[in-house]
Amino acid sequence: MEQLDLVFSALADPTRRAILARLADGEATVTDLVAPFDLSQPTISKHLKVLERAGLVSRGREAQFRPVRLNAAPMESAAAWLGDYRRFWEESLDRLDVYVKDLKRKEGRHASKRRRR
Amino acid sequence: MPVNAGAAEPAADRELTITRTFDAPARLLFLAWSKPEHLKKWFGPVGYPVTMCEMDFRKGGRWRAAMTGPSGQQQTPFGGEYLEIVPDRKIVFSNGFELPGAEKMIMTVTFDEKDGKTLLTLHTLFASIAQKATHVGAGMAEGIASGLDQLIDVVAALKSS
Repeated sequence: MEQLDLVFSALADPTRRAILARLADGEATVTDLVAPFDLSQPTISKHLKVLERAGLVSRGREAQFRPVRLNAAPMESAAAWLGDYRRFWEESLDRLDVYVKDLKRKEGRHASKRRRR
Repeated sequence: MPVNAGAAEPAADRELTITRTFDAPARLLFLAWSKPEHLKKWFGPVGYPVTMCEMDFRKGGRWRAAMTGPSGQQQTPFGGEYLEIVPDRKIVFSNGFELPGAEKMIMTVTFDEKDGKTLLTLHTLFASIAQKATHVGAGMAEGIASGLDQLIDVVAALKSS
């Protein structure tokens, strides 16, 4: 599976998104992360493995606590991707705005011609 | 991955909505979406004109289009089927690249006119969260999810800190 697929799959889950939002405030141990979520430690650990595989988090080396920290780079490429899609449509709608004004003007001209007749 | 692998993912995580208000009546906007000669005038980013566009504009009818980039090469065609048409109000259609195994997104365009102005809402439901970008060159990425918006905020916050 490509890296971007792993990132999107990892981001698909609301708990994992909440974990990332928490980690944006600073690194945390698994125990820190278990507390606010009302989930078991194995469940949180499983979510962390998915995030780690996607490169979204990394674990420290200290055997006992192994703090988890956020890696923003893969999220930035995911955000850039979504941005491309949005930009495609925003630019199209900019052009539609110009075009529809043109249509309206033409219609106005025809209507005034009809009125003159 | 099977075509509908993502169908079990919650719809809220596969949506994206873009809105825009136009100083024009809904019927003109509907017209701009419903005929190739009009669509060609505005669809796509600057520098990527629509150079092929066919439409059988009725429920169950098919449409396809392709853009040509600055290299002069026509890009992979994309298209789908019209699923619902309510004149001057709403167009629902599927959209995907003409590539083996490419997933289709469902797009809903609604036109809400008030006092001569029209609110256009463009809603995209992606087939799966991981739906692949196959046309990045044209700035057209088949993509993801409103659930990501909060992550984009997180990234922005990290950049500014």
